[in-house]
Amino acid sequence: MTTPLLLRFVSEARDLLQFAASGLLALERNPRDEAAINDVFRSVHTLKGSVGLFDFPAFTKLVHAGEDVLSAVRAGQLPISSEIVDLLLDALDQFGAWLDDIEGRRGLSDGADGLSRDLTAALRALLPDDFGAAATTARSAGELASVDWLPDISEAERLEAFRAATSGSQLLAIEYSPAEDCFFSGEDPVNLFRQVRPLYGLIIEPREPWPAPEAFDPYRCVLRFRALTAAPRAEVEGLFRYVIEQISVVPVGPETLIAVAGEPNGGPVYGDFVADALALLAASDWEGLRRSVSALHELTGRHLFVASALRWLEAVLGAPAPDSGWVGALIDCIAQGSSVPVPPCNSGISTTPATKQPHSVTGPLARLSALARDILDGQRVILEMAAESTTFASRLTAVGCTAANVLRGVVRQSDLEAWGSAVEASLADGTPVAALAELERLLNASTGAPSEVTAADALRPEPTGTQTQEQRQAPARVLKVDQAKVDALMNLIGELVVSKNSLPFLAKRAEEVHGSREMGREIKDVYGVIDRLAQDMQAAIMAVRMLPVSEVLDRFPRLVRDVARKLGKRVELVIEGEETAADKNIIEMLGDPLLHIIRNSLDHGIEMPEEREATGKPPDASVRIKAFQEGDQVVIEVADDGRGIDPERIRAVAVAKGLIDEERASRLTDQEAVNLVFAAGFSTAAKVSDLSGRGVGMDVVVTTVEKAGGSVSLTSVKGQGTSVRLGLPLSMAVTRVMMVEAAGGNLFGIPMDQIAETVRIARGQVRRIKQAETFVLRNAVVPLVRLDRLLGVEPPLWFGDADQEEAVLVVRIGGSLTGLVVDHFREGMDIILKPFDGILSDISGYAGTALLGDGRVLLVLNLKELL
Amino acid sequence: MTKPAIPIKAPRVLVVDDGITMRLYYRTVLEAAGFVVEEATNGVEGYEKALAQRFDLLIVDINMPKMDGYSMLRAIRRDAAVQGVPALTISTEAGQADAIKAYESGANYYLVKPVAPETLTDVARLMTGSGV
Repeated sequence: MTTPLLLRFVSEARDLLQFAASGLLALERNPRDEAAINDVFRSVHTLKGSVGLFDFPAFTKLVHAGEDVLSAVRAGQLPISSEIVDLLLDALDQFGAWLDDIEGRRGLSDGADGLSRDLTAALRALLPDDFGAAATTARSAGELASVDWLPDISEAERLEAFRAATSGSQLLAIEYSPAEDCFFSGEDPVNLFRQVRPLYGLIIEPREPWPAPEAFDPYRCVLRFRALTAAPRAEVEGLFRYVIEQISVVPVGPETLIAVAGEPNGGPVYGDFVADALALLAASDWEGLRRSVSALHELTGRHLFVASALRWLEAVLGAPAPDSGWVGALIDCIAQGSSVPVPPCNSGISTTPATKQPHSVTGPLARLSALARDILDGQRVILEMAAESTTFASRLTAVGCTAANVLRGVVRQSDLEAWGSAVEASLADGTPVAALAELERLLNASTGAPSEVTAADALRPEPTGTQTQEQRQAPARVLKVDQAKVDALMNLIGELVVSKNSLPFLAKRAEEVHGSREMGREIKDVYGVIDRLAQDMQAAIMAVRMLPVSEVLDRFPRLVRDVARKLGKRVELVIEGEETAADKNIIEMLGDPLLHIIRNSLDHGIEMPEEREATGKPPDASVRIKAFQEGDQVVIEVADDGRGIDPERIRAVAVAKGLIDEERASRLTDQEAVNLVFAAGFSTAAKVSDLSGRGVGMDVVVTTVEKAGGSVSLTSVKGQGTSVRLGLPLSMAVTRVMMVEAAGGNLFGIPMDQIAETVRIARGQVRRIKQAETFVLRNAVVPLVRLDRLLGVEPPLWFGDADQEEAVLVVRIGGSLTGLVVDHFREGMDIILKPFDGILSDISGYAGTALLGDGRVLLVLNLKELL
Repeated sequence: MTKPAIPIKAPRVLVVDDGITMRLYYRTVLEAAGFVVEEATNGVEGYEKALAQRFDLLIVDINMPKMDGYSMLRAIRRDAAVQGVPALTISTEAGQADAIKAYESGANYYLVKPVAPETLTDVARLMTGSGV
């Protein structure tokens, strides 16, 4: 269902954008046009509602900022100006671009967060300073459900807060849980929280137990801040206006702070004091009591329970009008040597009940969900409201109906009937009293433990449910499978392919050892069947993972168009063979290198139209992306008809950058010079262009492609164009290796795609240049390396005739050839490469291991690391 | 996607929202849960439909052209012809003041956009007392 919803969203949003844009223009012409501002505001407001259904945080944030600006304009707080209209139009354009992205790729482009942040900041900067204060009337902090952490605050700070409260301030308990990703949006939770002044007893603690050190993510904020403040609620909400959903506050009465704690001391040694104090209390002789308390306090060890009680007594008596209930309770504490509950304030100091009492969870209503209880609570709130007489009956009926619906099937039939008659009674006498009483009875039927959910929780925005909804309602016909499962299947089939290879070996044994040709032939027949099945299975599982290259190529038409327009160039993009398929991993890895190559081509290769015409070329340049399968490789060619690469310039730049010296540069062939663009640190662009990237050169392309087992080559004719060719394996799952014998009869695998050729050379043909051995291969000098030595084994000493041949594997690493001397060549084979894991994973020089048909383990070399 | 068979006494919901995406969203979620869904695009249309047909639940957006959600609910509660149909407002405003305002104008419950599909179905089921 999501796709139709998303499509509907895109088309609706386009209409809204159009509408908003024309409204904005009308507004610019006539700033007093109220209809226009209302239209624009409503369009953006509707857009905000719809975009919230999807998981596009960058989009949502920017819409929100736009709505705030429009809201300020509408409220007359912000006069409309061309600057504002420009910025808003920019934002609308951005929405349009994102809608294109969403339509094309079902997600926002990579830079969306940054764009959104910049534009959002620009828009918010327009808002008048007092806008946040106005906004808080619309958006307020949630109610804090529980303040059971108050005793965690130190006594000294509670005393301080208590004194502030008894001298007339209203205390607020604040709980602030910053978003986990708040560090990425530039928030500074500690700093923000400390701006609340005055702050008493700041508690910073993790919301959840700290994870094990290895799982610890320092960029994730899992802190919770709790504190008391005497700041007015509006001020707190103003400070937190951008993260208002992350804080909850509740007013607390001073008595909730009184908690006596300390070391016990034996015996009723304070009997005299208690008797005196009670007498003074009865006489309301606060001054006398103060003196008496202070005298005893002097004599009491400060860690004792009694001392704590005395400190509280002093604080209570320090108030202009001490609360006798609190004084009495604290004297009781001292008399009993243990805490007694402190009654709520009964004197002039105003306190607000800590929070709305949550309702029962134990009685018949226990079967109701938190949601149901919250709806019922809503009906109670409605009943408590004064209603106009004209709507009383209708509203009461609606409440009666709603509550009955919620209760249906949960409470006894008699309760339902009682509720029904209570509503009737209320309807009859025109007051909600009867209904309210019955609803209270139902809700409080058995008030037990406080429930964890309050109205405030339910009023907070729901977390976006789009994903869960996608999962729930995905059409059943397409099976979504975790890629890991497909990989596991792939591995198993790979092992089957490998282990079937032991059958020919068995057949040979049957013939030679057991002398049964018959048996040998039968085994070979079976082998033929299993071989075919295994190959089919492998092809089938590969097909599951195959994707067409259009997956990556589809984004280029727009990219080329936009980039070309930005550069003032005219380019026609032709894509061929987009149906060519390759393994998912390969496709996924192709995107970035291709993007880089194409940007390079547009930025450096393609000339401006005038320049092209001057050289007799058509003004429209062409960029051709061609994908096709060649053998077991997918080839992607990107060719342009631009100015090509000038080998002279490359030589000059390479020398200037110190990559090679001048003498060597002059000896390079033109093709070798052109290949220098692949060298690390080479980038011909004089200045870093914002198009072809952040100063990374073609070397990144080469590294990425080679990592996936592919190769890159580049040909260029000056004045005629450049062509880059990427060759990639169809799949990364099965690797073809050549086995060689070295280091005294051990087998090693070398990836086939690194092998250029195998040659045998007579020992006499090995030339020594200083310490290094070389040989000549078709007029080129190729360095010679002995695999034994690479593996840390001293090669056998050689005495003997110069005609004896060496087996040399010529490998191509990073574009240059190296001869690898091995003991013997062995056959090539398909293997499933298993990288080292566990304690072996640090070993360098090996790409991994593979299991051979006869049960031996083959070590596969990573020549790039070895050489 | 095949629509689920409509039960004989399927509860009827009127969705009033000026956003076409939101209406499609409510319709899809609620129909999947077995409700019959009618739509209106603004308060005036919503009021007229609520008068003309019988509904078990009204789902009303607040900020709408022509007549906003508050006014529409007030009008409905004033009209003796529609006796006490439960109403749910769903709006982007998240403050308690907005909840109170919704209750005052005649809503029976209040949700904040975006509403997760499960929440929407749960609330709709509870408020209509239906086991669909």
